[in-house]
Amino acid sequence: MATRNRTILFRKYRDALKSVRAPASSSAHLTTSKNSGGRPVIELVSTSLLQNRSYAPLSTEDPGNSSKGALTVGLPPAWVDVSEEIAANVQRARSKMTELARAHAKALMPSFGDGKEDQRMIEALTHEITDLIKKSEKKLQRLSAAGPSEDSNVRKNVQRSLATDLQNLSMELRKKQSTYLKRLRQQKEGQDGVDLEMNLNGSRSGIDDDNLDYMVFNERQMAKLKKSEAFTAEREREIQQVVESVNELAQIMKDLSVLVIDQGTIVDRIDYNIQNVATTVEEGLKQLQKAERTQKQGGMVMCATVLVIMCFIMLVLLILKEIFL
Amino acid sequence: MVLVAAVRDYINRMLQDISGMKVLILDSQTVSILSVVYSQSELLQKEVFLVELVDSISKSKESMSHLKAVYFLRPTSENIQHLRQQLANSRFGEYHLFFSNMLKDTQIHILADSDENEVVQQVQEFYADFVAVDPYHFTLNIPSNHIYMLPAVVDPSGLQQFSDRVVDGLGAVFLAMKRRPVIRYQRTSDVAKRIAQETAKLMYQQESGLFDFRRTEVSPLLLIIDRRDDPVTPLLNQWTYQAMVHELIGIQDNKVDLRSIGKFPKDQEEVVLSSEQDAFFKANMYENFGDIGMNIKRMVDDFQQVAKSNQNIQTIEDMSKFIDSYPEYRKMQGNVSKHVTLVTEMSKIVEERKLMLVSETEQELACSGGQVAAFEAVTNLLNNESVSDIDHLRLVMLYALRYEKESPVQLMQLFNKLASRSPKYKPGLVQFLLKQAGVDKRTGDLYGNRDLLNIARNMARGLKGVENVYIQHQPLLLQTMESIIKGRMKDVDYPFVGNHFQQGRPQDVVIFIVGGTTYEESRTVALQNASNSGVRFILGGSVVLNSKRFLKDLEEAQRIARSSTNVV
Repeated sequence: MATRNRTILFRKYRDALKSVRAPASSSAHLTTSKNSGGRPVIELVSTSLLQNRSYAPLSTEDPGNSSKGALTVGLPPAWVDVSEEIAANVQRARSKMTELARAHAKALMPSFGDGKEDQRMIEALTHEITDLIKKSEKKLQRLSAAGPSEDSNVRKNVQRSLATDLQNLSMELRKKQSTYLKRLRQQKEGQDGVDLEMNLNGSRSGIDDDNLDYMVFNERQMAKLKKSEAFTAEREREIQQVVESVNELAQIMKDLSVLVIDQGTIVDRIDYNIQNVATTVEEGLKQLQKAERTQKQGGMVMCATVLVIMCFIMLVLLILKEIFL
Repeated sequence: MVLVAAVRDYINRMLQDISGMKVLILDSQTVSILSVVYSQSELLQKEVFLVELVDSISKSKESMSHLKAVYFLRPTSENIQHLRQQLANSRFGEYHLFFSNMLKDTQIHILADSDENEVVQQVQEFYADFVAVDPYHFTLNIPSNHIYMLPAVVDPSGLQQFSDRVVDGLGAVFLAMKRRPVIRYQRTSDVAKRIAQETAKLMYQQESGLFDFRRTEVSPLLLIIDRRDDPVTPLLNQWTYQAMVHELIGIQDNKVDLRSIGKFPKDQEEVVLSSEQDAFFKANMYENFGDIGMNIKRMVDDFQQVAKSNQNIQTIEDMSKFIDSYPEYRKMQGNVSKHVTLVTEMSKIVEERKLMLVSETEQELACSGGQVAAFEAVTNLLNNESVSDIDHLRLVMLYALRYEKESPVQLMQLFNKLASRSPKYKPGLVQFLLKQAGVDKRTGDLYGNRDLLNIARNMARGLKGVENVYIQHQPLLLQTMESIIKGRMKDVDYPFVGNHFQQGRPQDVVIFIVGGTTYEESRTVALQNASNSGVRFILGGSVVLNSKRFLKDLEEAQRIARSSTNVV
């Protein structure tokens, strides 16, 4: 994988040429600085201010500091902020996710306490992540833009890439949830379930042995049963919650899947995308030309031509009249 | 993995060091180079949010200084001109220029001159100047491929361009591999000789510093041969998956365009056939048509299973499971329908053109002797109305190549018959082929009937019988590879360039076929590499041929040759 860096040579040439050019080109300098976007900058700033009041300072590293001097770099359009917010959200959700994984592991470990704290923590974390994903998804919708300009292409692509990120994230979360759920169920069936079953069986056989009229549990059995009932209800609730969040995520997933590119298909080809853009541009041009043509043939133009011709004829008649009469 | 991995690595290195939002700007050739190995979603992951062509982007005036421009271009003079304009009115925040080959000093000078605003951050040469269609198979996609058949006096500048592009491509392949090869060429071919000498000049004189890598014990070998040494392979009908798709429908940069053969739903109009992204295709690209049918059936069965299990959703658990497997399911669905469509279309074509019948005779002509029987078979097929014109032409060509010297009378009979049969047949095309690639011009022992050893080997194979009559043909390339492995390449037929000789057996061999490769040869190379003989082969060509393309090149060359003789 050989490469060759020609930057140094390039710089050398550039500096050499610059020193040659420098004394003669004060006027050229002026035009270039105008070229490189004095006006667009102002425009961009004003639009972004209108659209987005809380305009935070740029969080990307300033691209201007590397290219020194002559070029002023315009501020990026407002949607860049939105995309960055989403990216930050994804990042936050990622870190929360690792926390969640840890909490899951901890909750599944057998412990002496009742594990309520763990449960609460897991709930909070899951909630937070789902919230983050939901929020990002809403913001993502705002990114979409209409109009066949290059900028809108960029926006579409940004949207796609963020959507892919979000999708991966939510998929990961769901996988974590469902494994946790499974493990939880296993545990429930594994220890408590069997215990309970056995107890019930035991008690039932006791009941069978007794006369049916004496269908009363003894006190110890009652207490145990109640306790395990409460326990199951608790677990049931937990499971319900997890299922709910899974479903919520599924909804988000569905919305996102419209945006995400299927890998390995023609849509994922670079050349296909370029061609597509080219054909849409061509299509646009054709439409424009058509519009121009129809405008030319339109009633107004017709009217005007007829009137002009009439004027001309009248003029001729007038002249003829003047001459002959 | 060599070639594909190399190009991917270049792209990764290009994109990863530049942070922030990027726009990637390519030219028409680098688009192909990138597209076969990289995908749009991977680009998105690298924060490339816009991909544009260098000649279309110059029209737009919109300033996008929040984007950084990454150019990846071939160092041609048009590209440099485009760049000049775009640097002068810069629209992007930063410019990172990557070229796929060696830049001339003057070109750097021009660029430096136009960079008045100092927006260019770096200028680099990343040698990914070939289209890596498969791990061991690359092509250069040269549009005017017919030019290699013409003598140098007819179109000197065209031939110069052609050989320059080939030399560039070969240089890039070896730079990507970080090797400097010894070079051999086919003695009888002028164009092969010319390319070999120019490549040697580039590697050992002009840029010897660049090619000066750590020496390995044995240098790799670059063998340059001429398509005309084996004109049979591109004329045959193919029955292995990849080759067959190319022969019957056509593959361009691992993409199949189905619009030419019928109406399809929008998402099936163009499909991707890449061994990198499609596991089913990777497993089956070298299988024959019958086995493909079976494997596709198996895949459809699997798919049905999955679809069925997805259908009965009753509990919430089922639901969550379904959602989990849904993307996988969609992907599978797309893949299944793609392959089913392809195979259905191909079997339709096979049925229509009676290709089973035709191909049997073709294989007989290419592989086993028996002139009388062959003549009869070809005559019969020429009388057959349902065989298409192009197949008639190919049969006569194959017959002519094989029995050129044996019976001129019968050959004439076939010519006449062909001329009366197909109105579109251009007279003299077969004769032109014989003049280009007749027995006197060929170096290799195409039909295995020149020396005793080969004749004996052929007879032995005839006695053993063949597994499948439709794929019994082995391209000449196999013989060439075997003789390289055994070190029996004749210095007389395949001389070295300069005084760089081979010591010992080479471990890496790049075989470049001037005039184009076929997928049958690519398959042979892949199978050879899989057999672990200790030598790794890489195949390259100026284009990837199917019979249509080969005949088109032939016609074009004939037209030009004739008009030039008329002028003289």
